[in-house]
Amino acid sequence: MRLNRKVIPWIVIGVAAAAAIAAWKPTALIYGVQRAGLYAAIAIPMALVLGIVHIVNLSHGETLMVAAYATYTIAQALGLDPWLALVPVMAVMAILGYLIFQLTIKHTLKAPELNQLILTFGIAITLTQLVTLLYTTQTRKMHLSYVSASLSIGETSFGVYDFVFVAMAIAMAVALNVFLTKTRFGKAAVAVGQNPRGAAIVGIDVQKVYVVIFTLSVILTGIMGSLFMTRQSIFPSVGGPYTMKCFSLVAMAGIGNISGILYGSLVLGLAEAVINGIKGMSGWSNIVFFLLIIGVIGVRAFKERKI
Amino acid sequence: MKKITSGIFPISLVLLAASLPLFLGAYPQAVARSVFTYMALALTWDILLRSGQVSFGIVGFYGLGSYAAILLAVRAGMPPAVAIIAASLFAALIAFALGFLVLRLRAMYFSITTLALAEIFKVIIHNWNSFTGGPEGIVLPQVVFNGDSRALYWLSLGMVLVVVAVSVFFEKSRLHYSLTAIRNNEIAARTSGVDIFANLLITFTVTSLLQGLIGGVQVFSYGFAMPDSAFDGNYTLLPLAIALLGGIHSTWGPIIGAILLGVASEYLKLKIPYGHLLVYGLIIILVILFIPNGIYGLVRKGRSKRNG
Amino acid sequence: MAELITKKLTKQFGGLVAVNDVSFSIKSGEILGIIGPNGAGKTTFINLISGIYLPTSGSIEFDGVDISQKPAHERARMGIARTYQLIHPMENLDLLENVMIGFLFAQKQSIAKARANAEALCGTMGLANLHRPVSKLTMLETKKMEIAHALANGPKLLFLDEVMAGLNSDETKDMIATVKQLAKERNLAVGVVEHVMGVIRELTDRVIVLESGELIAEGPYSVVSKNPRVVQAYLGGAA
Repeated sequence: MRLNRKVIPWIVIGVAAAAAIAAWKPTALIYGVQRAGLYAAIAIPMALVLGIVHIVNLSHGETLMVAAYATYTIAQALGLDPWLALVPVMAVMAILGYLIFQLTIKHTLKAPELNQLILTFGIAITLTQLVTLLYTTQTRKMHLSYVSASLSIGETSFGVYDFVFVAMAIAMAVALNVFLTKTRFGKAAVAVGQNPRGAAIVGIDVQKVYVVIFTLSVILTGIMGSLFMTRQSIFPSVGGPYTMKCFSLVAMAGIGNISGILYGSLVLGLAEAVINGIKGMSGWSNIVFFLLIIGVIGVRAFKERKI
Repeated sequence: MKKITSGIFPISLVLLAASLPLFLGAYPQAVARSVFTYMALALTWDILLRSGQVSFGIVGFYGLGSYAAILLAVRAGMPPAVAIIAASLFAALIAFALGFLVLRLRAMYFSITTLALAEIFKVIIHNWNSFTGGPEGIVLPQVVFNGDSRALYWLSLGMVLVVVAVSVFFEKSRLHYSLTAIRNNEIAARTSGVDIFANLLITFTVTSLLQGLIGGVQVFSYGFAMPDSAFDGNYTLLPLAIALLGGIHSTWGPIIGAILLGVASEYLKLKIPYGHLLVYGLIIILVILFIPNGIYGLVRKGRSKRNG
Repeated sequence: MAELITKKLTKQFGGLVAVNDVSFSIKSGEILGIIGPNGAGKTTFINLISGIYLPTSGSIEFDGVDISQKPAHERARMGIARTYQLIHPMENLDLLENVMIGFLFAQKQSIAKARANAEALCGTMGLANLHRPVSKLTMLETKKMEIAHALANGPKLLFLDEVMAGLNSDETKDMIATVKQLAKERNLAVGVVEHVMGVIRELTDRVIVLESGELIAEGPYSVVSKNPRVVQAYLGGAA
């Protein structure tokens, strides 16, 4: 994880802000962090694909949604706890990811970028509609007792289950870091991400890297989908907003910067929690993300002044 | 020979379209209006696409135009024609202002930002209860032309012809060259004197104005606006599928696509009420993979092969 | 009579200084060679002058105007043009239309005028069958189109970035003659980046040598080619 002198003032500001939020409304801080974990954990697989295969997967949120439905179905059918259903769901997602890549995405890698955008948009719609056909738009929810576990500190009591998202985010970041920097395949993948032609010249099987990384990303997203299922109600279009929010995070952090995603998610999760905490403003919390991302990207684009 | 036929065919098509209400009933006229709306939106999407920018947020300015038009009528008492034009200009103004920020971005950043913008507009209108009527929306005391089906049809036809004219203008003017240059090779375009930002801003503003116009006409034809219907994702999805299937980077493409899919969608809605949109998702995937230049693209390729 | 003057022109990308403190000038009618080993910063240098990059420090003056912060399209309209080493013709435009772009936008002509001028220019460059898709052109035709595309700006200053690469000796002779003629007819200032020293010797009046972003020598080719530091830059050896 990078830490240079420029970051330190931001960290100070961040800690100060967190303290202020905690003083105003402690639950906002806690829920903000938990939300941040959720967003970060979902964003990291998207960043992986973007950084190495260089495609924006606009069906990322729908992948999450499909995994959630798969978990729901398998858990209900076999009478399993969703955490156990995770294993077959991972297998299902692996197959799905592999097929999507080989049948569609692979063929647009050499085409202009807008083809990939449109293609993944089409995949997103297709997945949403398929699920609608099979499950209708009725929301589904699983009622699990452990999800409402809570803790009381002083006068505040809050749910603790959602910290599992934070744990997942950190675990993913650490595991990927190790994978990409310490394993042979991981290092090859990083090389492909930086320079596919150069990597091919030194003998790396670029196609294999693409397939594996994409499938891995789908599996990771699938895991988050299962966890998501335990906590939230799901409906076919539940995935859409997550695609945008994840892209916002990845764009803010900059391609290849996984630790940036963690920090960014904290900012955004807390901002959302704060807005949600203000009476009457909860309907507006969704657009906090979008405004922040437009702001950050706008500022960065201005600084680089490409035109 | 070619010059004569290239003029006669479109003109006779327009005359045919204008005369349809004389021998088709109210239901086909309503279907046709729906086709025209999607055709127009598809054309505006394509015009921006010609510069290489993919927008996923055309519903944003469409919805903005709808609401601006209906609010101007209901709260400021403006007559329909004035309200529609004012709403279009409002959409254009917002696009122009946002364009300054957003058009420095390219490719995926721009595309996702357009998606985000559409969501932002929807949320603002949804939550600003006091002004916009919130989730329940606003109702017009009276639909324009008293709901006369033929008059509404001709209004809709007029609207789509305006959009077609703009699309043709973009094809025949220097904009065709600048947008294509930007799309193909931005850097070379710049060193050949193309002001990329200006071109994109003009294109973005004009297409957003048209989207606002389409929304304004729609809202007066149906008499109400609601966040969920004004910002329905279908208004982004179908035009995309239509332009892709019909053939991008052309005026004929979206026209062909809209007629094909517009008619097909009526049929599909009856057969598969839940999830008939699946077809559009599949169309998008299949077209991108197998015929990225759409039907009209195949026609053009065949023609140029014959000419040698 | 136009002149381009750079003063202490520097471009830094993060930690890498690609062009370092380069001061030089070029006037109408001059053909200047720009040589140096790979990675010396020659293309970055051209990118700086044409406006693709903005300088980190230093200045560029053209025709008496400071253009250091001007965007690329404005510089094109002022009369600066360049070719690209990796030629990516505009694939949705045919050969003629590719050449029209500079007339249309750098010279702001109407479509009809641009078309006529582009046809004439292609004629003088020896290009025919102008409605072919650019994917169907031979290597020589592509190079000629690239030069025509740049000339369409109506430039006073033209940079040719390795246009001779990949041409056989006959084609190279043809191209050298063409460049000399164009420079003379239009009173152009021409900067030629080349690796083939024979071309440099034949074509240029004067040469500048870049190494690791720095200007290490300047003068006629016959003098510069014997400069020990230049020889060392090309052959490697201890710094």
